[in-house]
Amino acid sequence: MTDHISEAVSWCLAAALLVVLVLLIRQRQITAGVRRRNATLEDSLRARDEEVRHLVDVRLPSIADALSQAGPLPGLRDEKLAGTAFAQSLHAVMEQFTRAVDKAQTRADASAKAALKASMRAVQGLANEQQVSISEMQERHDNPDVLRDLLEIDHANAQFGRRAQAIAVLCGSWPGRQRLASSLTDVVRGAKSRIRDYQRVQVHTLIDVAVVSRAVEPAVLAVAELLDNAARHSQPNTSVEVSLQPVHNGACIVIDDAGVGMDGLEVQRAASLLSGQRAVDVARLGDPPQFGFAVVGLLAARYGFSVSVDTRSPYGGVRAVLFLPTELLTHVDPDGRPGTAGQDPEGAEPLHTLPSRRTRPPRRAQQAPAAPAQAQEPSPIPHRAPGSYQAPAPHQAPSPHQAPAPHQAPIPHRAQPPAPAQAASAPEPAPAPAPQPSPDGEGTGVYGTTAGGLPKRRRRQAAATPPPGDWTTGAGQTGAADPDTGAFRVRSAKETASRMGAFARGTRSGRSATQDSAPHHDEGNRQA
Amino acid sequence: MSPGRRERGLVRPYVVTDGRAYPTRNTFDLVTLVMAHPDRPLTGLSPEKRRVMELCLGGALSVAEVSGYLELPVSVTKVLLGDLVDSGHISARAPIPPAELPEVQLLQEVLDGLRARL
Repeated sequence: MTDHISEAVSWCLAAALLVVLVLLIRQRQITAGVRRRNATLEDSLRARDEEVRHLVDVRLPSIADALSQAGPLPGLRDEKLAGTAFAQSLHAVMEQFTRAVDKAQTRADASAKAALKASMRAVQGLANEQQVSISEMQERHDNPDVLRDLLEIDHANAQFGRRAQAIAVLCGSWPGRQRLASSLTDVVRGAKSRIRDYQRVQVHTLIDVAVVSRAVEPAVLAVAELLDNAARHSQPNTSVEVSLQPVHNGACIVIDDAGVGMDGLEVQRAASLLSGQRAVDVARLGDPPQFGFAVVGLLAARYGFSVSVDTRSPYGGVRAVLFLPTELLTHVDPDGRPGTAGQDPEGAEPLHTLPSRRTRPPRRAQQAPAAPAQAQEPSPIPHRAPGSYQAPAPHQAPSPHQAPAPHQAPIPHRAQPPAPAQAASAPEPAPAPAPQPSPDGEGTGVYGTTAGGLPKRRRRQAAATPPPGDWTTGAGQTGAADPDTGAFRVRSAKETASRMGAFARGTRSGRSATQDSAPHHDEGNRQA
Repeated sequence: MSPGRRERGLVRPYVVTDGRAYPTRNTFDLVTLVMAHPDRPLTGLSPEKRRVMELCLGGALSVAEVSGYLELPVSVTKVLLGDLVDSGHISARAPIPPAELPEVQLLQEVLDGLRARL
């Protein structure tokens, strides 16, 4: 019996032991598995921690930097994470960050540009205004000492205006001034006017090609920047040679300097800027900012000319070539020139004029009030609006004294369209008293005004019609008393002298009579 | 090439005179008459000087008139004219003395007219 019991107990015990053993083994396995997983998870967590730190420390800053210097962005630090949801989330973070940085950058750029543009426009306006005043002073003073100082101020002002203009253009503004179609020579000399070392610039060739009105100012600005580069990067004792060449479908302005030249990298950078394709970032032009090529590239792309600087100049420096296509070129008739000998001057006056020449810059309108004679009253002196320069063979009433305005502006009047605001600001409405020529009459001697508001007389030849009583009633008498000789009128010089003398004395006595109008006596206003 | 019609203010006076403000001679007055010598070559002259030559080939012109045609200040014109006299392209002549001036009546009328106006 007891045997049975003990056997049964031992069997039970054995079974229980077995069960416990099995359980133990299983437990061990489970624990090991859990520990392994735990370790893996810990590793993965550490990897992710490190990955996030890598994101913050390396990858995000690299995005911010990549805007200035393009390069490959660093990827994941731990390749094991590639393709996981975590990596995708990190990627999404990167993208959002990139977008945010881009947006901030664009906004900062736009606001910087807008601010610069607005302030440069104001500066440009001031520079132009100052140039007008300087021009007036140059007209007014006859003393070389004063003139020398004025020329210096004028030169400084022109450079100052160019700088403002260049920055404004870079910020997306227009070059600003509307000019008449001007000859290529004048374009280059205008550009020469705006750089510091203008005396080193030698313009050799004169070709009979002009630039259309809308392209004058951009071309001047571009050439000025190229000339400035050339002069700045060469020795002060060398010269900058400019030659103008007509080519198959346009014309070229070739600028050679004898400077240091550019290496391959600089040429590449210049070419990419000059192509005008690359967006220019005003904040990243370097310090000091180098915006010359960027401005030229922008203007070239906008107006359709092209510039290259990749050739070496025979003098060792850089050869810059600005190519103007035929669309931007025209011919300026040398109208206004007196006829050459044997030619009737009135006949030489061309009937066809470029439409653009009728539109003068509003600057002239501002100049008008400076003329002393005009400022006082609407004078019966036939003061023409300068737009009537082109009017062929103007006819006038024989005595404009009695009939100050016989014909009132039947043809396009220059001073009307530009800006009513300016006309209003001018103390004297310049166009009003101008007797307009009727298109069919005989010629008179007067065909325009000087900047000072005095009528300009075309010098006449003997075969021409008798001199009209334009602004001196005596002129008609002189003409009548002076029979035509079939050659140049010998007396015209005397007449000229007598008129000038009379005028000089007249104004002098007029001024002494009106007591106050000579504030600059000691500054060389001796001509009055 | 045609300074008479060109845009004012594009080419500044210091470029025209190459930076000089003093005429090489101090003989010019507003009414000094200048005459061109047609036999001198025009090569090498600046556009403004060519224009002066073209203007003066037709006969004598006063300095004031030359300045008006060139649309340049008188003082700048004097610098150019000084150069041209030096190079023998033009010659200058003093104005007619007042005693020989004709048309006293004309002068009187001009004077009266100006007085009435100023």
